[in-house]
Amino acid sequence: MTPTSPGPLPFEPARAVPGKRFASPFAVTTPPGAEGWESMYPYYALLSSERAELEDGKFWFFDGMHNPEPLYPFDTIMTENWWVAVSQMSTRVWPIPLAGGIDHRIINGYLYISPNAVTDADEIAARAEDFAVRAGHYYENWDEIYAQWVAKATDCIERLKGIHFAPLPDKEPESAVFAHRGLYSSYDLLTRYSELIHNLFEMGSYHFEMLNLGYGAYLTFREFCQAAFPGITDQTIASMVSGIDIMLFRPDDEVRALARLAVELGVTGPLLGTEDPAAALAAVAGAPSGDRWVEAFEKAKDPWFWFSTGAGYQHSDRAWIDDLRLPFTALRGYIKNLLDGQDIDRPLEAILAERVRVTDEYRTYLPTEADRESFDGLVELARQVFPFVENHNFYVEHWHHSMFWSKVRELGDVFVAHGFLDDREDIFYLHRNEIYSALYDLNIGWATGTEARGVTYWRPEVERRRRIREVLKANPPQPALGVPPEYITEPLTVMLWGINQESVQEWLGSEDQDPNRLNGVAASAGKATGRARVILDPEQLHEVEDGDILVCRITAPSWAPVFSRLSAAVSDVGGIMAHTAIVCREYGLPAVVGTGFATTTIKTGQLIEVDGGNGVVRVLEDVTA
Amino acid sequence: MTTTETPFVLRIDDPAAVASPLLGGKFGSLAEMTAAGFAVPPGFGVTTSAYRYFLAESGLADAARAVRTEARGADLARVQELSAEFSARIEDATVPAALEDAIRTSYARLEEEAGSARLPVAVRSSGESEDLAGASFAGQYDTFLWIRGADDVLTHVRRCWAGMFGPAVLTYKPEATADAVLDDHGICVGVQQMVEARSAGVMFTLDPVTGDRSKVVVEGCWGLGEGVVGGGVTPSRFVVDKVTFEVVRRELAPQESAYGVDPATGVVGLVPVAEDRRELPCLTDEEIDELATLAKRIERHRGAPQDIEWAVSEAGDVHVLQVRPETVWAQRRAEQLVAAPKSAVGHVLARFSGTGVATGKRPS
Repeated sequence: MTPTSPGPLPFEPARAVPGKRFASPFAVTTPPGAEGWESMYPYYALLSSERAELEDGKFWFFDGMHNPEPLYPFDTIMTENWWVAVSQMSTRVWPIPLAGGIDHRIINGYLYISPNAVTDADEIAARAEDFAVRAGHYYENWDEIYAQWVAKATDCIERLKGIHFAPLPDKEPESAVFAHRGLYSSYDLLTRYSELIHNLFEMGSYHFEMLNLGYGAYLTFREFCQAAFPGITDQTIASMVSGIDIMLFRPDDEVRALARLAVELGVTGPLLGTEDPAAALAAVAGAPSGDRWVEAFEKAKDPWFWFSTGAGYQHSDRAWIDDLRLPFTALRGYIKNLLDGQDIDRPLEAILAERVRVTDEYRTYLPTEADRESFDGLVELARQVFPFVENHNFYVEHWHHSMFWSKVRELGDVFVAHGFLDDREDIFYLHRNEIYSALYDLNIGWATGTEARGVTYWRPEVERRRRIREVLKANPPQPALGVPPEYITEPLTVMLWGINQESVQEWLGSEDQDPNRLNGVAASAGKATGRARVILDPEQLHEVEDGDILVCRITAPSWAPVFSRLSAAVSDVGGIMAHTAIVCREYGLPAVVGTGFATTTIKTGQLIEVDGGNGVVRVLEDVTA
Repeated sequence: MTTTETPFVLRIDDPAAVASPLLGGKFGSLAEMTAAGFAVPPGFGVTTSAYRYFLAESGLADAARAVRTEARGADLARVQELSAEFSARIEDATVPAALEDAIRTSYARLEEEAGSARLPVAVRSSGESEDLAGASFAGQYDTFLWIRGADDVLTHVRRCWAGMFGPAVLTYKPEATADAVLDDHGICVGVQQMVEARSAGVMFTLDPVTGDRSKVVVEGCWGLGEGVVGGGVTPSRFVVDKVTFEVVRRELAPQESAYGVDPATGVVGLVPVAEDRRELPCLTDEEIDELATLAKRIERHRGAPQDIEWAVSEAGDVHVLQVRPETVWAQRRAEQLVAAPKSAVGHVLARFSGTGVATGKRPS
């Protein structure tokens, strides 16, 4: 690929300003030793001077959840897939009224993403009409569409399984000649590679067919719970809707079943005798009844051990099936538990009973019957969509992606066999489009008998890229770049990355302490604006005028007579059950207590605003003459 | 004069005390809690009959009504004057002998049961209407802590009676309360064994700021609970989810001084908190869990949200000091959370279009 640098910019890239903005993406410098990193990635994923104005004005956050490390060139296939697959659902398929696509850029090897918002009211309304019809159709027919989805996903995986790569033969076999296909190994290698890539994009498209809608239903239920029960944890909300028989539990359940079978068949000895899975398997196979256990093991392994130890987005996320040490460690633990007489079954009934208890009890704490009805409907819908939300993860990220990476490694072996690479793993230093070129190069060499260019071209290039990537890895990325957004509306952004207004504010850091703002305990809800009346001595109470905001160290019960004249109260000390707070709630007055410094920073006569719901006091205007 | 119908004194563990109007709101609740098996320190109430008997016998009943009527609408200076005059008359009046005997006998029985002479007690007012008329009368009545010996108990019972005519009580009138109710309401004076609290405070069986009923909010501090109740100490605060018992919010306030008994003077006031405790939370997680469980049980027993004063002794025993109905949210009409009832799919479609499912009336 052609090395690309952004080129001359029409502006000076902005630096980060605490509390206001993040550094411009153009202000990020390449660490020494990583020069030319851009050449590892496609031109459209890089910043450019031509699009600089657009790119500089957006908000970018680092997707450390899926890709914590600098991307291997090949692994960009995953991020490039969802760059289109997620975005097209929001923009072209549904469309989602408020959310546009999610843009991607690679900066110093790290993936940054930027959700596009739709802000024009007319456009939102028009999109909402289409959305209601199209998404409505999916919600109304959810179970049926999910069944179709499972069939499509399973078929896609079956076809992936059927893709094999082998080095080109010295001579085409006779069968290839006498079948009169007129097509040979060179053609098959290219088409299989295309098949592999398109198989990934096919699954990638299924991946997001229903996901946004599933998340949306769950998010709506979650928002309802958060509004009704402020502070309720995400874990508790999830516990009300998540299933107990989801596929992500199956790998572990299979290991439990294998442990039980081992005890039943009396083959625990060979399994406990070694930590090496291959040795253990061989030992079991040799034991009486051992063949029955091995048969059960092989059956469980496919598909349940296509179980990634990571998020499934990087080739380095290895699956159980690639490395059996993990399931065998679990297996030995379960066998020991069983031999000790312990129960290893998951307490399914107890979990289900707890789910019912938790849901029912929260329901009783809702204020009105209409709320209880909404709660019931939203729980039911969330439970209906959740099997897809949870299980898609096994089909796509675990089963399919793990198998996909193993197929790419098979292709890596082809390059090793033809002298392009030293190690099958080195294939991941090539972008998928470079692999297509390299395969054609390989075909040329095979066809002509001339040494392929790749034999001398790729080794040093892989070495160069390996060095660059090591440098990039040693330079962790900033969490966010660019201009923080006013609103975050894209449901995946909120749901998956947990990015919201608060997290953005936290990253921004705080501005230097605002002298006109005091934080305290939100003691009595409501907002009021009025003149401050600082009272340090009860003798001054008679000075209180109608509409004043009382500012004091603490209040005492004897101050009750003045409360009916106040519009709000602020105290230096106290909590939500302090006298000031209780009386203010009774009188319906906003109150912020425990501010620490109200009486020393606020002066009588200043116009102040009390936000009793958020515990904030602001000085709006100084003492008027 | 003491009869079973109108006793001067009622012990809170007396079956007749349960639901008796003679104990006022606060102490009546404690009798009910005691009968239900909650850990309430023993005590007795000097009943509302006793208070009325005292006013009648000392010839102050008519004067009391006159003071109330005049105070209504008077300016603050005049209210203070009226209050001072009448309080002095109450404190000077003689307590009828039968009443005095009843109080002394009951106090002696508390001393005997505790096995401690000059047993420290809390003496506090318990108004007839305070929990009934939709007003908590927060802090309007008197509480005297660490009172020892029958003579001092008697003195402070009288002070509680006088407290009925303090300027704050004379003018305190949340909207819903009718003048007639205020005019005639009597008072019981509770006398209850003190818990030497290591930590104490209050808890609500709903979030008093948001009205969220799925929470127990515990505020506590080192030492006696006066710091929290009176607002003199910024308490630590724990918001507990009632369903899962998770502490969903924890606001710890370092504490340098606490309410306690000065060993030299025997008077309750601010004393320094031991160095090694200042930065520590005043409750362990187990205690927070125990308090939240207790709060839930009390709420279920009483059938409505409650405001509970509690104390934990040095040994870690949890005591219930006071229970009363939550008055603010109980008064409000329940605000519907959902903006407009819709089908679940309708809510979700609206959410995608930017209309949140809840109106967000609850401040968070």
